[in-house]
Amino acid sequence: MTRSAALSVVAAFAVFVLVWKAVVVVSGLPSFILPAPETVAVRFVDAWRDGTIEPHLGTTLIEVGLGFAVGVALALIAGYGLARSVLVERLLSPYLVAAQAIPILALAPLLVLWFGNGLLSKVIICSLIVFFPVAVATMVGIRSVDARLLELGRSLRATRRQVLLTLEVPAALPNILGGMRVGVTLAVVGALVGEWAGANQGLGVLINLARGSLFDIPLMFATLVTIALVGIVLYLMVVVVERRLVGNR
Amino acid sequence: MSAMGHGPGAVHLRRLSFSFPTRTGAPLPVLDKVDLAIPGGGIVALVGPNGCGKSTLLRVIAGLLEPGSGEALLDGTPIAGPDPRIGLVFQEPRLLPWRSAADNITYPLELAGWPPARRRARLARLSELVDLDPAVTTSRPAELSGGTRQRVALARALALEPEVLLLDESFSALDALTRERFDLELLRLWHRAATTIVIVTHSIPEAILIADRVVVLSARPARIVADITIDLPRPRTIAALDDPAAGRASHRIRAFLEDDEGGEIAGERAASIPLARELAS
Repeated sequence: MTRSAALSVVAAFAVFVLVWKAVVVVSGLPSFILPAPETVAVRFVDAWRDGTIEPHLGTTLIEVGLGFAVGVALALIAGYGLARSVLVERLLSPYLVAAQAIPILALAPLLVLWFGNGLLSKVIICSLIVFFPVAVATMVGIRSVDARLLELGRSLRATRRQVLLTLEVPAALPNILGGMRVGVTLAVVGALVGEWAGANQGLGVLINLARGSLFDIPLMFATLVTIALVGIVLYLMVVVVERRLVGNR
Repeated sequence: MSAMGHGPGAVHLRRLSFSFPTRTGAPLPVLDKVDLAIPGGGIVALVGPNGCGKSTLLRVIAGLLEPGSGEALLDGTPIAGPDPRIGLVFQEPRLLPWRSAADNITYPLELAGWPPARRRARLARLSELVDLDPAVTTSRPAELSGGTRQRVALARALALEPEVLLLDESFSALDALTRERFDLELLRLWHRAATTIVIVTHSIPEAILIADRVVVLSARPARIVADITIDLPRPRTIAALDDPAAGRASHRIRAFLEDDEGGEIAGERAASIPLARELAS
């Protein structure tokens, strides 16, 4: 990131906090409706110090990590099949569209009922939500491979595997990583939705606790900030990978 | 010196026909009983009207298309699919945009399973052979000029030391001066690498400057209309085009091309058909 880009991020954040503070002062809303930014900041630091957030964060990160990995792996295989086989496309696309038409929010309680309160149901929900954008991006990417380059590969007697590794994957990589950028933020959504549908631990659970039994609204905001940070960090990780792999084309 | 060697790289086409399948079902004939013998180390230029099937003919020799009937032989054995003894330079450079120039040149070696150290050694020789500026080998294709890109493509085609080099209008996108330089460099390269060269071109001067023989093809389906020997001494320079023999050859090639556009069967083509039958029997 250049210095001016970093500066604009800091400026945007400062404006956000200032507006937030102004709304609190002008509206005079009580802290259990809208706590002031500094109250949230203090609660955020405290919650980290006394270990309130950490175990929940750990659980959510594992769910997101596993769910993303499984979802991406399946999407790469399916996307490739969709791009290269008419039969696979015919067989798979109705399911794909149907799965995408049912909101994950409606599906999550059922999946928790079937696969339990623990990690498994969350990983399934995460991978389901990650699957679609990455599979479509992979399909588009593989289809975008220049037919003339494939002819070159054929003239050089490239094996199926060499065509995949030296032509199709590099050509599809920008698309695939674009799909992964969308997918990684959705993975966080998936984990939280799953936790809402039923879980013992996780940031989604902590939000529910802070709103309900604890009635600690600043903690709820601190959790929200944590979730936002998780999303941003994961997104930036994908961007860094993208820069390294396809940056200087 | 004799331009027609008798080394490896002899290409024989015998009553070669080819049709493309179409959606309506009736196949579209592209090549019609083409008979052509190119001795090892010889240079043949293929000229003909647009879309006549020159590139298709080249792709059959490259093993990318299977002959419909008849046969295509390399050193006496049928060409069954792409062959490392044949190097192909396409009309456009066709480089992998995500690879450096060096990695594009060594791509065929990589596919053939050469270890990195051997690839590097070969890269140095190839760069020198096509006169590639060593400073640009780390650049991506997008950063190179059109001429340099085609130079990289030429080096890539030579990577596996082919016996036959096929060029599909490979210099046609270059400006006139660069193109002339490439033609001469191709000849210099031919003197060193001693490959058979088959070049498809639209440029009659290019054909005359490079080739031992210029083969004129008819409109689709392509048949051989004329096979004109270019009687110019080698090594040739650009001045060879000012030779009266070059002028006469140019005149004849043009006459055959124009004749064909009129839809008339030229006398020599009609005569070549019984000859072809004789050769095939």
